[in-house]
Amino acid sequence: MIAAMPPLALVVLALLMGGVWPRLMARQTRFRYTPQAALLAWQAVSLGAIISALAAAPAAIPSFSGGRGLGDQWVLLALVCLVSGAVLISLLVSGHRVGTRLRALRDDHLALVDLIGADGQGRDRSVRVLEHPLPTAYCIPGRRSRVVLSQGTLEQLSTAELDAVLAHERAHLQARHDLLLEFFTVVHEAVPAPLRVPVALDEVRLLIEVLADRVAIREAGAVHTARALFAVAAGRAPDEVMSGGSAAGPRLQLMAGAHSTPWLTLLAYAFALASVLAPVALAVWPFTM
Amino acid sequence: MPDGPSSPTRLGDLERVVMETLWAHERGTLTVRAVHNELAADRDIAYTTVLTVLDRLAKKGMVLRERVGRSWEYRAAASRAELTAASMRHTMEDVDSGDRRAALMHFLDGASTDEVADLRAALAEVERRANPDA
Ligand SMILES: [Zn+2]
Repeated sequence: MIAAMPPLALVVLALLMGGVWPRLMARQTRFRYTPQAALLAWQAVSLGAIISALAAAPAAIPSFSGGRGLGDQWVLLALVCLVSGAVLISLLVSGHRVGTRLRALRDDHLALVDLIGADGQGRDRSVRVLEHPLPTAYCIPGRRSRVVLSQGTLEQLSTAELDAVLAHERAHLQARHDLLLEFFTVVHEAVPAPLRVPVALDEVRLLIEVLADRVAIREAGAVHTARALFAVAAGRAPDEVMSGGSAAGPRLQLMAGAHSTPWLTLLAYAFALASVLAPVALAVWPFTM
Repeated sequence: MPDGPSSPTRLGDLERVVMETLWAHERGTLTVRAVHNELAADRDIAYTTVLTVLDRLAKKGMVLRERVGRSWEYRAAASRAELTAASMRHTMEDVDSGDRRAALMHFLDGASTDEVADLRAALAEVERRANPDA
């Protein structure tokens, strides 16, 4: 009977890491002060959930080896195979769907801004400027990446604030934050809709923004970065209909309350390590018995 | 690395120049010959290349063409301002759509009017911390 423990524990762990922990983690807002470590912890938990689910079926194999036969354990075998198989298929399907959709959206949008946008300062082709009075700034990640600004942004922001915006967007592009976000989106959509945790995806998205903000702060200073964020938010507010608050509030508050957090960082790294090691240990254990 | 004659960047550049030519003619229609004449004024370009570019743009829905007598005439499907406005609307209104949020990474996902006062207070706090004596 003890041989049935690891595969079942892996299924439970997959449920915990896939559905329960993300809900709890999304509430730990103090980890926003250490975004790099926090994002690693998020990746580790997603990875841990995937490893647990995929390893459940192989971990059940030793229970049936040694000529003991299936006996009454076929229910267990069926369960773990179902879990592992379903997770594998939904991950592959989700990965394909999300990847195709995002690439199509980016390709279309890139073609459009290349047509309608003007070159950035100094005939910089990688920056597209849209002739529009509302301030906006975003980037199109990918092989041929672009930073898109509106004329409103150029007019309403000072040079230093503009530097902050550009540093923020280039941080996204250089660190390939899009791949990170794509990974989380794929995992998110691989889970059946009723079990998804949208707050987890929101938190991850915010952490990625905070990470890019930190680069902007390093290059342009906290004051200019904060002013840029405020200017873009204030310049657009009357034209936008949003039910909840935007991420601008938490991001500005983080800039106002920035302090070093070595213990939180350490905690996040330890948590990340444990999240990957636990399922691996459980998966290997049956083969050592 | 220089771009070959059929590389995507060069075609993209040409599409842009062709669109600008059509936009400069305020909804007026132009024949391929007319577009070619304008483009050939400041670059070495073949008539067939212009035809190819116009064809690509028509497939993308960026230009419309109609038969006039024995030749095709082309015009921009929408002005640059219309396309820009539509694009801004799309990227800003759909911030709630997960896809667009993952496809394009915005400096800021949006803000509501009642939020601005709170943001102003937070900004003041950042400024105060950076310069405590002021
Ligand atoms: Zn950003």
